[in-house]
Amino acid sequence: MTFTVHDLISLSPVLLIGVGILATLIIEMLVKESEKILGWFTFVLLLSVAYLSLILLDHTALVFEDKFLTGGRVNIFFFLFSFGAAVVSLLSMEYIKKAGIHFGEYYIMLLSSVLGMMLISGATDFIMIFIGLEQMSVCFYVLAGFNRRNERSLEAALKYFLLGSFATGFLVFGLGLIYGAVGSLSITEIVIGYETLKTSPLFLTGTLLFIIGFSFKIAAVPFHMWVPDVYQGAPTSVTALMSTTGKAAAFSALIIIFSPIIQAAYPSFFTPVISVLAVLSMLYGSIVAISQNDLKRMLAYSSIAHAGYMLIGLAAWNEKGVSGVIFYLVAYTFMNLAAFGLISLIEKRDLRGTEFSDYKGLGFKQPVLAGLMALTMFALSGIPPFAGFFGKYYVFLSAIEAGMTWLAIVGVISSVISVYFYLRLIVVMYFDNSDEIVMVTPSTSAMLGIMISVLLIIIMGVAPGSIINLINSTF
Amino acid sequence: MSSIGLNHFLIISSILFSLGVFGVITRKNAVMVLMGIELILNAANINFVAFSAYGGFPVKGQIIALFVIVLAAAEAAIALAIVLNIYKNFNNVNVDEIDNLRE
Amino acid sequence: MNLYDIIFYLFAIITIVSATFVVFTKNIVYAAYNLLLTLFGIAGLYVLLGADFIGIVQLIIYVGGILILILFGVMLTNKITDVPIKSGVLQVIPASIGVGMLAGILILIVTNISWRNMELTVPESTIGSLGMLLMNEYILIFELLGMLLLIALIGAANIARK
Repeated sequence: MTFTVHDLISLSPVLLIGVGILATLIIEMLVKESEKILGWFTFVLLLSVAYLSLILLDHTALVFEDKFLTGGRVNIFFFLFSFGAAVVSLLSMEYIKKAGIHFGEYYIMLLSSVLGMMLISGATDFIMIFIGLEQMSVCFYVLAGFNRRNERSLEAALKYFLLGSFATGFLVFGLGLIYGAVGSLSITEIVIGYETLKTSPLFLTGTLLFIIGFSFKIAAVPFHMWVPDVYQGAPTSVTALMSTTGKAAAFSALIIIFSPIIQAAYPSFFTPVISVLAVLSMLYGSIVAISQNDLKRMLAYSSIAHAGYMLIGLAAWNEKGVSGVIFYLVAYTFMNLAAFGLISLIEKRDLRGTEFSDYKGLGFKQPVLAGLMALTMFALSGIPPFAGFFGKYYVFLSAIEAGMTWLAIVGVISSVISVYFYLRLIVVMYFDNSDEIVMVTPSTSAMLGIMISVLLIIIMGVAPGSIINLINSTF
Repeated sequence: MSSIGLNHFLIISSILFSLGVFGVITRKNAVMVLMGIELILNAANINFVAFSAYGGFPVKGQIIALFVIVLAAAEAAIALAIVLNIYKNFNNVNVDEIDNLRE
Repeated sequence: MNLYDIIFYLFAIITIVSATFVVFTKNIVYAAYNLLLTLFGIAGLYVLLGADFIGIVQLIIYVGGILILILFGVMLTNKITDVPIKSGVLQVIPASIGVGMLAGILILIVTNISWRNMELTVPESTIGSLGMLLMNEYILIFELLGMLLLIALIGAANIARK
């Protein structure tokens, strides 16, 4: 195995974050009150990783004995993960003080989960995807239960761990069967042997178990039961991380597996399974979200619905669908980051105050926060001219081009339903009133994180064409 | 000549997998659920080793089995930490009684 | 029936019977000890498949490490002295039907496969070639697993500390 300078440069985002984790560990050990500097250190580190990934966009390289790919679309994912996590680290700084979990380990876990995500998106081998997924999940299990004196946080960690590792079991067993059918776990070999494999029951069963395992990770119905409890119970900044970049990482795995098969213009036998998952997720997520009284829980159900919209892009089985999904992932990441960031600001010290009734009259008491929240809700419900609209537009368009108009119609119906519960929050904020005083002192760091997210939502809504062109150019 | 073939090993792994799934969905105690998960991971490992032994490249499947064993160890450590903490706060580890989060 | 077959059936019966006990027994300590037998039986199966190193790793890590962790979990979360260590069950009948169907389908599929080379290849010793693979082709994964174990250690210590 030989490394060239070109390889090293292409790998630099991953290397930087690996070195960063070790540096964080050492700072945590040596410096007194390291929590104070680690937040900004993490932010700067992730920001530089994001910058490196963007400037190395056309540095394609296949390294580590063809086990890891960088450049092109992979770097777009690198950027999404590291930039998203950088915003999360901004949102976390004050929040973890408020929640009483102000430890340096928090940032170590955050950085390690990003490393896991990057490994998933660059993998060329199922085993690599699996290891990256495990690295990410282990960090999330720990982060979900980070508030170890809070019963809700612990309950979230237990449920997340048990169901998550159950899903891992399915995934590994599925990989075992795929290995048996193919004789290897490399994606290239699967694409080469696709014509004969698609009639092999062993391969089909393995793939089905694999998709079931992954549906847990992307939170698609009927494998969603952990989502509301975990999103509600985990610390809000952690929920922001796992509902955005975590979901994007799981989708990136599906994209890197499927897109070589799509590019080779092979027919899809996955489409029926994915369409069923998509329809169930969209309708279930949107309908159940209506009856929620807790904002975090409502966003959990809405994230199930969003997973459904993104699955449409994969079910469409064309390149437009794939780039639509990537666009949607970027848009969704920043919409959810803004929403969870605002929730974490309004949340009280005892980690209550995430119910709709706590938002009564917020429009008069905290006009800035309420305005940003309203904008985020408009974006999430897919009202133009914000990012959410174009995400849905590209995905639905790809379904129509693939001749699956019915799927797009179900998507539109579900979006219309979802407008109700997003707008309900706006109604509560501006038309209800309560005498309770909401004491919020937004910290600079959290406001910066929220402003970045909101700005990106608006930019993606105003100039979606240039971003989708950038994504398309990486094919 | 031995009459044992690949199928025999695969049948064992299928039975172990199903028993593991059964354990996970019927057990209330979190530690018991964890045992079910270990059964599933072991079933997958038998598959990897058996397929590669009968496929003519024995070592490649074994190395994947090795990785899965390491992951199981990491997961078990996290699981024990979470379960102990749950016990400290709730005084039991039954998944159906740990149910504060709901609509 | 030759010796290989007899040993295979011995280990197979140990594995399946004890695994059945693990999921059906009400007593959690019995379940943990039966899991020991299951893991031991699986180690035997690995050796029969020519995977000597994996067999030993199975014994050292699973039996010597993970199982001890699980036993700690059992002992620290149950009041052994005053309350019987029992654990309840949920939805047994629908689960039995579903899992029975799952097992049937899986067995049907795996018994009908056509594998390209149905001869068992048993290498003389696997340790050397495993080491070479680990240091060459799978070096990235090897390093990452080191990272993963470190993270698991930090995370577990952080959750469990006072």
